[in-house]
Amino acid sequence: MDRFRADVFLPLTPVAFDILLALADGARHGYAILQDVESHSGGGVHAGTLYRALARLLEHRLIDEIDAPADADTADQRRRYYRLTERGVAVARAEIQRLETQLTTARSRRLLKPVRS
Amino acid sequence: MTPLQTAAFAVALRAYPRAFRDRFGGEMRDAFARRPSWRQLASMIGDGVRERRTAVQLTLTSPAHVHHLYEPSGRHAVVWDGLLADVRHAIRMSVRSPVHTALAVTALGLGIGANTAIFTVVNAVLLRPLPYRAASDLVMVWNDDTNSRKPRSPISPADFVDLQRESRPVLALEGCFSFVTSNRLTIAGQSEMVNAEAVTPGLFPLLGREAALGQSFAGDDAGTRVVLSDGFWRRRFGGDRTVIGRTVQIDSGSFVIAGVMPSDFVFPYKGMLGPSGFTTSPNVDLWMPLPTLLTTLNSQFRDRSGQLVRNVRFLSAIGRLAPGVTVQRADAEIAAVARRLEAFYPDSNRGWNAHVVSLDEQVVGDIRPALLLLAGSVALILLIACVNVANVVLARSVARRREFATRAALGATRRRLMAQALTESGLLGMAGSLVGAMCAWWGVQALVACAPDNLPRLDEVRPDAVVLVISIAAGLLAGVLVGAAPAVLAAGADLRGSLQDGGRGASGSTHRVSAWLVVAEIALALVLAVGAGLLLRSFGKLLDVNPGFRTDHLLTMQMNIPQRLTTPDARRAFYTTFFERVTSLPGVVSAGGTTRIPLGSTSVSTMIEVEGHAVPIGERPAVEFRRALSDYFTTMGIPVLRGRVFTADDGATAPSVAVVNETTARTVFPGEDPVGRHVRFGPASTGPWTTIVGVVGDVRHLRLDAAPEPEIYISGVQNPPVAPFIAIRTSGDPARLAEAVRAAARELDPSLTLYDLRTMSDIRSDSIAEQRFVLLLITAFGVLALTLAGVGVYGVMSLAVAQRTHELGIRVALGAAPSRLVIMILRDALVLSAAGVGAGVVAALALAPLTASQLYGVRPVDPLTFALVPLILIAAAFVAALLPARRATRIDPVQAMSAP
Repeated sequence: MDRFRADVFLPLTPVAFDILLALADGARHGYAILQDVESHSGGGVHAGTLYRALARLLEHRLIDEIDAPADADTADQRRRYYRLTERGVAVARAEIQRLETQLTTARSRRLLKPVRS
Repeated sequence: MTPLQTAAFAVALRAYPRAFRDRFGGEMRDAFARRPSWRQLASMIGDGVRERRTAVQLTLTSPAHVHHLYEPSGRHAVVWDGLLADVRHAIRMSVRSPVHTALAVTALGLGIGANTAIFTVVNAVLLRPLPYRAASDLVMVWNDDTNSRKPRSPISPADFVDLQRESRPVLALEGCFSFVTSNRLTIAGQSEMVNAEAVTPGLFPLLGREAALGQSFAGDDAGTRVVLSDGFWRRRFGGDRTVIGRTVQIDSGSFVIAGVMPSDFVFPYKGMLGPSGFTTSPNVDLWMPLPTLLTTLNSQFRDRSGQLVRNVRFLSAIGRLAPGVTVQRADAEIAAVARRLEAFYPDSNRGWNAHVVSLDEQVVGDIRPALLLLAGSVALILLIACVNVANVVLARSVARRREFATRAALGATRRRLMAQALTESGLLGMAGSLVGAMCAWWGVQALVACAPDNLPRLDEVRPDAVVLVISIAAGLLAGVLVGAAPAVLAAGADLRGSLQDGGRGASGSTHRVSAWLVVAEIALALVLAVGAGLLLRSFGKLLDVNPGFRTDHLLTMQMNIPQRLTTPDARRAFYTTFFERVTSLPGVVSAGGTTRIPLGSTSVSTMIEVEGHAVPIGERPAVEFRRALSDYFTTMGIPVLRGRVFTADDGATAPSVAVVNETTARTVFPGEDPVGRHVRFGPASTGPWTTIVGVVGDVRHLRLDAAPEPEIYISGVQNPPVAPFIAIRTSGDPARLAEAVRAAARELDPSLTLYDLRTMSDIRSDSIAEQRFVLLLITAFGVLALTLAGVGVYGVMSLAVAQRTHELGIRVALGAAPSRLVIMILRDALVLSAAGVGAGVVAALALAPLTASQLYGVRPVDPLTFALVPLILIAAAFVAALLPARRATRIDPVQAMSAP
């Protein structure tokens, strides 16, 4: 079988990247992802769009499904939880790398203020 | 989340593929529930459709080694993907054979269009409720005159008041004149004739309708108000809203315009009126308050002691059932009241029952059988069209056996093949419904334009969204019907066999199905053609009816004599001058007048007392009552059978004389000579005796197809009328004399009103307009059915010839004479049509009684029709088979046998 290549998934759609970011802290259920994405992207994500992105990520095994953690409350027990797979982490890193390269380029061309260390 | 949002969400979710729904639907619902919005739903649907496309792409392009949400079989996507492919394929196939497709779509379109048009009429006339509130609770109450067997007789004012009071627990009752009156309306010195209907003030509230402008009659005190119809208000006042409160003169009284009714308000319908009256048209320009008229016309409606009359009957009664009361219960109650009245007032009420009929039945009951007959026939047409198209589709599917076989060999399931066949026919159906909707849109307007004026509720028929819905439904139905046979064949065909024999061999099953279809088609066409034949025969009989007078060269009109002529003497003098003037006009042969013109007016009857006949008052015979002026009988061509008719000697001071018709002579004076007998008229019968001086021939008065009624004519000179009909016999075209007569009348007196000038031929033709209308449609359907059947026979014989090209080629090669081939093909066609005709005759015999209500003088099982129509059909089938038969003789044996 071919070696896994993270770069074939790049660039990620904004929603897909948001989902990967939301899962960086650990497993979450779908609605929690939606809330997290909305709070970070300033609102405006429709459930339909989010779940389509989720479906593609699942299909490409960038995330997978797990049972609810034992500490989740009863309402959340029924939900499906998602977590990053190794491939997911790899793709997220690759995307971040790509964005970082772009940012560096942007800075060097003075489109963006340089970061003060 | 509101229930509406929940439902909308469920719908929006259907946009997603099933696998996606199963997996994420619940979570999406939760997410949506926390912040429901319509915009979110809209974007959901968009995403869903995109997801479906993704799903199709995934299942098609990604083989099983890409793990994804969707089942590896891709079953969820196949329905859509397959449908799309089928549609594309079907369109390609239909474009490839444009003639077949055009024929099929045209046949279906015509069938669907005709059905939709007829159904639109049926819907507006029979199904849609009358324009009143809760119209299903409305009923009519009629007197049932058992003495003269007239179950639909009006009610007298006194009986009406009693019925109204006594039946209150079950029925709220209001009344109106059982006829429309023709009145002179004068506004600012200008006068014209208008049609008016007198109603009790409570009638409009009972019907649940209010004025659109101003008010209708409110409460019991209607006073001298008058309410206009929307049409009259627009026509006469140009829709001027300030007319409310204006005073107008109607006949000799002053009335205030109180309101204008809404445009969709109709009252009365013709069925609500009794058999008597002055005009045959129920179209009303304005409504007047009945109590006011009863008061002003005091003398006529009260007896000498001041009581309302009980034995003059001229009211229609309309009632609203109390909640929970059925028509049957109201009927029992009303009948009980009538029996009490009969016991209490035996002199006037003996033999008079009363009964209740639902208003709906009253208004459209008469036209229902004709419309249902039309609807049935037009449904047959669609069925025939479907069978026809099914045959075309079948023929094409035979040509495509190889294609189907190849698909099956490549792994298409039977379901898949059936789906493809049904998609193709469904597309045909949809195209048909498009054409049909257009035909219907136009057809409904044409129907309304051709339909006779007296068809009830005709004004309420117009093409609307219903047309579209029905044609689409009919198209889908047609698609399934058309596709059923090919689909079943496609699924069941011996596919391997057809691949092997190269699509050439005798596909027996297809041919058999196709033959059966043609047999069915011929049978259906025969049923329709027999119906058309029966109506045609019936109409012929109607045209042949002798109305009892000569309808040619006769001009008729209605006349209102000047109002200043208040005394009988003044009127007599006027009539003498009038008829002198008219008969002196060039082209006039003779002229006369009557109070009721045959076929062109309603009727009015009176009870007569015969001197020497000891009959109780309540059981005295009722006869139709008319007056005759000048040379009426000669002018009309009514023959004098015994004695004489009125002469100049029967003047004002001479003894009163009367003339009876043959039916009166037969029924009232059985075995006696009526000439010289004395009679008295009216319920009171207190006047002087009148002597019968002659017997004249019967005339058909109300309709050509109704038996003549007993009639009595009195002298119009001795009792001069105010609004007679005038009949003028002319030597030339009567229509061309109309202007001369008008001019003569104007010259005689400018205030003399002549209206409704018509020739008697027109009146006669109008009187059978409804029958002609039904006949026209059914005949058109019959011809269409015959044509379709012919095309069907042609199609199946062509198919047979095409399929047997190989075999026929061998026969030709072996020396078969062309004539033998022709005979062989024709014999096949004859067998088919004979089978169809046989089945059709059986079906027609079973269905024929349904036409009985539409027939006159012809029995539903008419031997002539049942003998001729099958022959015509067989002849048509024969002709249709000739062309394919000739083609068989031109087969080139070399080509036929070398073809793959």
